Amino acid sequence: MSADLKVKLGPLTLKNPVIAASGVFGYGLELAAFCPPENLGAVILKGVGAEPWPGNSGPRLVEAAGGLVNAVGLENMGVESLIKKVLAPLKKRGGVIVGANLIGHSLEEYLAVAKKLAETEVDFFELNVSCPNLSQGGAAFGSDPELTARLTEKTVRLARGKPVVVKLPPLVTDITEVAKKVQEAGATAVSLINSLPALVIDAKTRRAALGNITGGLSGPPIKPLALRQVWLCARAVSIPVIGIGGIMTAADAAEFIIAGASAVQLGTAILADPRTPLAVIEELETYFKEENIHSVGDLKGTIKGPWE
Amino acid sequence: MADPKITHTEVLSLTQRGGHIFQLIVKAPPGDWTDPGVFAKLRAWAEAPYVYPLLDRPISVHRFSKNGPERTLEFLIREIGPGTSFLAKLKPTDKLKITGPLGRGLLSLAPDILSQPLYLVAGGIGLAPMACVLELKPPKPLLFYGERSGCFQIDRDYLASFAPDFMASTEDGRGYGQKGLVTGLVRKALEVEKRTILACGPRGMLAALAPLARKFGVRLYVSGEAFFGCGLGVCLSCSLPLSDKTRFRLCQEGPVIDGLKVDWDKR
Repeated sequence: MSADLKVKLGPLTLKNPVIAASGVFGYGLELAAFCPPENLGAVILKGVGAEPWPGNSGPRLVEAAGGLVNAVGLENMGVESLIKKVLAPLKKRGGVIVGANLIGHSLEEYLAVAKKLAETEVDFFELNVSCPNLSQGGAAFGSDPELTARLTEKTVRLARGKPVVVKLPPLVTDITEVAKKVQEAGATAVSLINSLPALVIDAKTRRAALGNITGGLSGPPIKPLALRQVWLCARAVSIPVIGIGGIMTAADAAEFIIAGASAVQLGTAILADPRTPLAVIEELETYFKEENIHSVGDLKGTIKGPWE
Repeated sequence: MADPKITHTEVLSLTQRGGHIFQLIVKAPPGDWTDPGVFAKLRAWAEAPYVYPLLDRPISVHRFSKNGPERTLEFLIREIGPGTSFLAKLKPTDKLKITGPLGRGLLSLAPDILSQPLYLVAGGIGLAPMACVLELKPPKPLLFYGERSGCFQIDRDYLASFAPDFMASTEDGRGYGQKGLVTGLVRKALEVEKRTILACGPRGMLAALAPLARKFGVRLYVSGEAFFGCGLGVCLSCSLPLSDKTRFRLCQEGPVIDGLKVDWDKR
């Protein structure tokens, strides 16, 4: 019997649980020669605001601790350009499930983007309330559960039935509180974790590596932390949890599903090699066959204690 | 832009060419590698699961050669960190992951450039793509080559083998050439004869050339330097501010760019 990798996200059926995270897959087509977007469960576009954003001053990226620290600062073309230039050619490929990652400095800015995108071919929304590189909006927003819930509720109302995923910040007192609040507010799913606030310094020059001084740590070093957060959230809410954090291989993806995730996003791994999502999907199929797992649901949340 | 491919190729040779500088010759993968400034991402260490160092290293093409059916690609690599240390230990017959050709080179930006006498200005390992330019035989090219210290300099004989006419400088006055900044040599040359400048090197050097080019009314083309995350246009880590307030992805729209259009005061 062949493995069924399909997963549901509200009314959408993703052909597999492997999603390209926002910020590493551009506007959907840049990496198509290496990784056709229609072969993935979904692709999430670079975060988009109501107007174009210039992003942070460079340097914007540095390697550290076996991962990356970035402070791109959500440079983006703005929602108008995204609608005009990006969506039609991407959807024309056929079979591409497109998520838009929504960013803003205020509630109003997020909602302005949601309103415009609700009328388009975008398949689902991901509310980015967890970017560590913004002084307003981003994680400053997501660490306020009430505000995040209000944003979720209003976005759901504007979304015309499109699923609304809320991407949660990892550094809050209790991530399950935020997850529960956005579930009550009508979120279709939560995705976690975003990168962790981090700082890289050169001892010799005493300089911070990044123009923004601090950035967000991603990649293999954050995986154990992300797994715990996903495990906690999956036990706290009934909506799907999308796991993110240092997934480089099918085994990593499987671990997130075992912790309770319904799907996963790959970020840093795509910067290491744009073909990684395809390898993860293929190896996940093999793993399902070898372990006699019939569906993602069979594996989901099957974590055991070391004594079992 | 050329259609980049991810392949594995074979190392033909690795030769030390000076202080921490290595010339790597590999079998050329398919693609057009001839335009100066075009680069590749190289990886000579573990692939999936992509442990440290995580990212491939972007290295500009030093030279492309075609002898009958044998096409070879050369890189000039400065050993400066963990990634380049792996590259500096390669041996003949080793396999190497290579992604490219990447980026837009000089000729795609300025097709008529090679019909005029040029000043080529290289800072440090920015020397690498200058060999490509010189292979295309512009008339009377003069190369300026600056290093921070004599201990980083490329072997003089090797430099002379591809640059018939050069002037060198080091900031510490060691090694060959004059003491001082390479931009000082360029200024003196411009006072005698105005020429279009092609430059590749650290940001500070490129930024210092822009006011010189403006003052003397000459064109300035630079192959820029930044931390490249993906080299494929998605991570936006190499995005550079332009004077018209827009931004420019060095890895996609560059790395060669009109140096007078860059806003060198911003990052």
